[in-house]
Amino acid sequence: MSAAEATGTGEGRARLRGFVATYGTALAGLAVLVFFLFFARNFASGANLLNVLKQASFLSILAVGFTFALLTSELDLSFANLCSLAAVVTGGMIAGGIAWPLAALTGLAIATAGGLLNGLLVTAIKVPSLIATLGTAAIANGLAFMLTGGVAFVGRWDPVFLSLARGKLFGVPVLVFFMLAVVALAWFLTKKTRLGVHMLATGEAQEAAHRAGIATRRMKLVGLTLSGVAAGIAAVLLVANLSSAAPQMAGDYLLNAIAAVLLGMTMFEPGRPNVAGTFVGALIISVLANGLVLLGAPYYLQDIMLGVIVIASVSVSASVLKRAAFSV
Amino acid sequence: MKKFFAPVLAASILALGSAVSAKAFELGVVAFQMSSETHARVANAAEAAAKEKGWDVVVLNSNGTLPTHAEQIENLIQRGVDGIVLAMSKPVEFDAQMQAAKEAGIPLITVMSGASPHALFDIQVNEYAVGAEAALYLLGQIGYEGPILTQRFESNVGTRVRGKVLDVVLSENKAVEEVGSHSMARTKSWREDVRSGMSALILQNAGNFEGIWASFDGQAFIIDDLLKEQGMQKGDVVLVSIDGGQETYRRIKSPDSMLMATVAIPFEAMGEGAVEAMQRIAVDGEAKEAVTSGPYLFMGADLVDQSNVDAFIEE
Repeated sequence: MSAAEATGTGEGRARLRGFVATYGTALAGLAVLVFFLFFARNFASGANLLNVLKQASFLSILAVGFTFALLTSELDLSFANLCSLAAVVTGGMIAGGIAWPLAALTGLAIATAGGLLNGLLVTAIKVPSLIATLGTAAIANGLAFMLTGGVAFVGRWDPVFLSLARGKLFGVPVLVFFMLAVVALAWFLTKKTRLGVHMLATGEAQEAAHRAGIATRRMKLVGLTLSGVAAGIAAVLLVANLSSAAPQMAGDYLLNAIAAVLLGMTMFEPGRPNVAGTFVGALIISVLANGLVLLGAPYYLQDIMLGVIVIASVSVSASVLKRAAFSV
Repeated sequence: MKKFFAPVLAASILALGSAVSAKAFELGVVAFQMSSETHARVANAAEAAAKEKGWDVVVLNSNGTLPTHAEQIENLIQRGVDGIVLAMSKPVEFDAQMQAAKEAGIPLITVMSGASPHALFDIQVNEYAVGAEAALYLLGQIGYEGPILTQRFESNVGTRVRGKVLDVVLSENKAVEEVGSHSMARTKSWREDVRSGMSALILQNAGNFEGIWASFDGQAFIIDDLLKEQGMQKGDVVLVSIDGGQETYRRIKSPDSMLMATVAIPFEAMGEGAVEAMQRIAVDGEAKEAVTSGPYLFMGADLVDQSNVDAFIEE
């Protein structure tokens, strides 16, 4: 083999490695999708595919919020509890006869305030985000139980409010449009605005960003606050979808949303939180949850397989990343 | 990549094999929270009864989360199952999903959930009668006077009803005073919640209570253990609860346990009854009214104490 050939082969391998690192998880997700399309009964039906998208909406919105926080290199472990608290506030106000737009805005404001509180704790008081958001999560959980006494607010509420989540537009669930709007806005904000660039710079190299004149503390504040905003949006939609509000109603989304973001970090921009990756990660998790039911898999196998696939996906890209990092 | 996904795909194919091998009646069973023994007992009994009939069964666990429960019902509808049984569901919260099942022509039976216009009926015990029986037994054992502690659970309709019936009974028996009460709020970490709450109440009221009422047996087990840790012996305090099950019966019989009685709710019979009703209505084509005329199918519940516990203990 000549030197030129060897160089060419090396470049080819590097390119392949880069391709796998960038698109490996997305391709694995695609493979799972194709598998379900062929083998899971009714998976390929239009109604079910819309069902999957609808079910992905809450997860996507919450995961996008977590992405904002992680983009600035901060963890937000409170978003699920903030979402539950905002849901309880919204549901409680509607059950109390208050107009739903006001209730929805209040719920949104509560979650946003929770996110802002996280931001202030991290940037002003210098509490590590892991601890600060765990504390906020506990407070939100306590407040949700205080407001409900553990008993869900339930009712057959204003159909206009319920249509926010149960309605359809051109045959497509409205929730899908909410999801796409949030994802598109988040993508635009992170990719096409100075704010997004500054948030990313803060997360990637805080000291350098600070020296370059970026208000890094403000970026972290914004990242954590936006996570709260996303929790508020998801809360209002959850209440509309279930016509009820209970403490811990968003509890299952904590790990799933984190998993979606981690999956997302293995594709498109490996090692970096990114909105597109998060969205695809959320879709993969939702496809798995739906496809395994349609396959008739036992419920415990579903949990196991979801865990295995998430770990495997992350491990694959992590190992590729590691190899890429150490190869010259 | 292959080495990571091959086992996953293989497992999927195995699951697929079992899913497509037969074209029998397919039943979807969703338990709201399998970590709760009563939910699991209903779901497992329904699964076993359906398998005995040669049906295919998909059993799902909603982990006690409302959105997950909704998604699982929706997924079963998309799968096109022939019937659905929901254990401890919530008709108002899942009204849209139950309506979707009805519109898809999928018969739906709920167990211990409450009535829904979209379900055939709900299999229930009369919680009001159950609550009254447990409350009156407790009061009878302490001679209708003296201080008691209560462990409540307001988030569940059934246990909430039991608590309200207890309040009615107490309002008519003023010589019995509720000196302390703890309400279990959390559903996922409920054991720790009960342990910490009741531990504080027992210490606070040491020597000043003659009976304890627990809204379900799982709570009673924790309280029983707490009392034993305090050095109490059978007869020192009357502990009464509701639900039934082999562990409950073992404790009622045990000379070391403070648990004196339960009202045994036939969870297994409810799961089996749901399958049998599904057979009659969805397979044999009988009218729903032939099974029950109203929105409920009531089942009986037995008071179990030391006098009859042997009849309930399985060898």
